Amino acid sequence: MAFETAEQAQRPVSAKVVVSGGFGVGKTTFVAAVSEIAPLRTEAQMTSAATGVDDATFVQEKTATTVAMDFGKITVEAGLVLYVFGTPGQDRFGFMWNDITEGALGALVLVDSRRLDECFNAIDYFESRNIPFVVALNQFDGAPMHNEADIREALDLPASVPIVRTDARQSQYATDTLVQLLAHILETLAASASPVPAQRPAPVVTTDMRDRAANALAAERSA
Amino acid sequence: MGFEPEAEQLIEDGPMARPYFLTGGRTRSDAGELAVEAMVAAAPDSAPPADAELRAIHELCQTPNSIAEISAKRSLPLGVARVLVADLWGSGSLEVLETTRSDDIAIVRRLLDGIRNR
Repeated sequence: MAFETAEQAQRPVSAKVVVSGGFGVGKTTFVAAVSEIAPLRTEAQMTSAATGVDDATFVQEKTATTVAMDFGKITVEAGLVLYVFGTPGQDRFGFMWNDITEGALGALVLVDSRRLDECFNAIDYFESRNIPFVVALNQFDGAPMHNEADIREALDLPASVPIVRTDARQSQYATDTLVQLLAHILETLAASASPVPAQRPAPVVTTDMRDRAANALAAERSA
Repeated sequence: MGFEPEAEQLIEDGPMARPYFLTGGRTRSDAGELAVEAMVAAAPDSAPPADAELRAIHELCQTPNSIAEISAKRSLPLGVARVLVADLWGSGSLEVLETTRSDDIAIVRRLLDGIRNR
């Protein structure tokens, strides 16, 4: 930004979105596709979240429970960095989710249309915590191309949750999906920006939002 | 709670220690909790810490890094990196940079514009 000072440029602001979904649905591939750096892998251990060190000393399995988590980074402008975190796919690593999703702007729920049920947990999680999310059908060779209405019904998704298609293997496609997520987050925030629930959202922001959403959609179609 | 001299000695001996040995067994720092995406940077003119791992983190943070990046680049479990960074923050060696609130519309708009126009 033109009015950004050198001081701000040296002190970046960071934000975070998460990529979620069942095991093997393409989360790591997606993170790699949108990230400007090779995805980094960090590990967390059960002791960090679930138990005290002393307890774990006596329970061998717990000290061995390590979960890997991949994340990527996008330097959007000199002073603004977006981190994209993949959540661990398996249910038994659910203890990690609060840590990863705390403070997240929103979430992408990646779905394999052959295994729709594997994303139920993720959808329940984000719905219950009021974290804005978009459902993205990841393209898999040979997977049936269900229409959106069928998927919405199968996942019991309200109309307010967008369903989009993506291909985590293609950087441009995945980036467009990230844009769609950000557009949805912006729309959700604009709709709830009013401190008094009874009031309507500010119309200026809403119109602006529609333009952005339309642009995002056009960008996806031309991709 | 600070580092026990014995613990530091054992860490020098090699990587076989349990991960939380580096933190003196603590899973939280007295300095507070930090988000995984929180970026930290070495405080201006701060001296390198004496402890080897802390010194390495301080060196890495001559350019801003998030907790998650420090964890990945130093091969430390996330929880361990978080405690050590919080300690360095508490002692004034590191500064914690700003993380966005999840309802910051202006930031989301900048992210959207920035990524769409790549």
